[in-house]
Amino acid sequence: MSQDDQPGTGGNESTPEPESPRSAVEETTSNGEVLDDSGRRTFLKRAALGGGGALLAGGASYGFVKSEIKGKPVSDYPLIDETIFKPKDQRATVLAFAHSTKLGERYPERTTQYNELQNKDFNFQEGFADMYAIPWNNSKPGYTQMDRALQQAGWEPLKVAGSRMVANLQPNTPLHTWDQSDVEEEQYQFDTEKQASDAIKSAARMFGAVKCGIAKRDKRWDYDPLYDAENDRVLSWKDDFPFEPKTVIVMLTPMDYDCMATAPAWTADGTAADGYTKSSVLASQMAKFLRGMGFHAVGAGNDLGSSVPYAIMAGLGEGGRNGALLAPGIGPRHRISKIYTDFEFVDYDQPHNWGITDFCLSCGKCAEACPADAIPLPESKNGGYGFEPTYEFSDEPGYTWNNHHGIKKFYSDAKKCYNFWVENGSACGACIASCTFNEPDMWHHVFIMGITPKTPGFLHGWMAELHPAFGYGHTGDPKTAVKFWKSGEGMRTNSDMKNNIGTSNKS
Amino acid sequence: MELAQWFFMGVLFTVSVFAFAYLSLLAKLKWYTWVSLFTGVVAILFGIGWAGASFLEGIAQSGAMALMLFSGSGLILMVLTWRYLVVPELNQPAAKSSAQDQETDE
Repeated sequence: MSQDDQPGTGGNESTPEPESPRSAVEETTSNGEVLDDSGRRTFLKRAALGGGGALLAGGASYGFVKSEIKGKPVSDYPLIDETIFKPKDQRATVLAFAHSTKLGERYPERTTQYNELQNKDFNFQEGFADMYAIPWNNSKPGYTQMDRALQQAGWEPLKVAGSRMVANLQPNTPLHTWDQSDVEEEQYQFDTEKQASDAIKSAARMFGAVKCGIAKRDKRWDYDPLYDAENDRVLSWKDDFPFEPKTVIVMLTPMDYDCMATAPAWTADGTAADGYTKSSVLASQMAKFLRGMGFHAVGAGNDLGSSVPYAIMAGLGEGGRNGALLAPGIGPRHRISKIYTDFEFVDYDQPHNWGITDFCLSCGKCAEACPADAIPLPESKNGGYGFEPTYEFSDEPGYTWNNHHGIKKFYSDAKKCYNFWVENGSACGACIASCTFNEPDMWHHVFIMGITPKTPGFLHGWMAELHPAFGYGHTGDPKTAVKFWKSGEGMRTNSDMKNNIGTSNKS
Repeated sequence: MELAQWFFMGVLFTVSVFAFAYLSLLAKLKWYTWVSLFTGVVAILFGIGWAGASFLEGIAQSGAMALMLFSGSGLILMVLTWRYLVVPELNQPAAKSSAQDQETDE
């Protein structure tokens, strides 16, 4: 038996043997003090050792989370089925189709088939006018005159700039001009590619981007041909675009958490419109910045190319079930802008994995929240994840004209989504508000984001259920609109993203 | 307010460390008792930290759930550990001297 195992046999004379079964505390108070000198030294030693150990463990946990939230580089994105993949015609996107009466006349079967299968009487081209024509109801939170005014105010700068339709994929708008006459003759020379990337991301952060990544231009993600809906002109990259792009800079603009939480109420469209406005301004600034350094550059919102795969290639996030880019720390609550440029002396980012798409496979909160049932549930065929759409009527010839086939991803029915917008009187956003990755910027969400890649798959469904149980992600609740309109009380500081350490970018 | 929360968490953490150090002087506990107590304290602090952040972000339901699930579980674990593993050791007459003897050996 060691001495440790023998009570009272220690050699320390200053620690007297207790003589009666008094409490341990009382035993230490024979001289009127709680602890004698030796006891105090022991106490402080153990406190220092224990505290130091706990601090080390805490530091290790912080380091682990910080490491995990940077994500792991992946080399298997994108997964393409070459037998069915082909470049995406911009005319085969719902918003471009809705924006063009000419396309409506040219492809009447799209509307006819949709109405027959969905038992609707819907006109895609009149949708936006019908949407804004729905009268407000001041007794219905989220659908009042104030909410409509917020929505319209969100778009106002884009309207003034003549660029409102950039959200509907209209290329070459004033903010995203193709005019390259202001490109400086002298090209700024960076010492290293990293210096160039850092400079671009520093400028992006200063302009207001919450994240910025840099991807190589990839023709698979560009709309080809491009389409000018306002003038009914088909545009070619080779003949009409002003230069040969080499690089696409991708930036994320955040949307307000409390406002988006009101979805699908009109209130939520206020921050969506504001996000479009700010992201467009951001892209125009970044394009001008590059032109000022002597390189060709054109900003873009939804136009020119598919934003989500470019953002994935730029290492900003992963593709989610709702079809949006899910960025760690902010989820889908952002707007994506792009800058096409011929500047290529940069340190390119690469796709990363945070376990987000894997989580989406068993989550499905966005699908449950979708008022239009446009997003496939995890229980649907292939869980809605594959190289081709599997949603309702997707096996009907021609019905999936709006989807980009051949890429392994989640496919949703954007036609039903847009149809709901029109019935609702504004864009929706329920799939954003309900997303498990849409969180306010507080440490515990960063922590959960960090441990998610290490959690076994069978726990993901359980974690998804806890999200609403903890009070997050509820949609269609009038109280959220009331709450939003009180969120300015005391004008609390907007602390968006300050804790969002890492990901693939330093900015 | 976030800074105040972190400061408050630091105070709680320090108090916990001191409490553990003092307890180590009072009784010689088994290793699994320490593991249980440590787990309980971490769960309680985690729940309090989570709840503070949740209240600050305006999602009170999350704070309530955290207090119930994390801090509540930690508290139950601490109470059970204290009742069945710590108190019997504290009631041993030679508990204190044994614990200090261990330090002397170190």
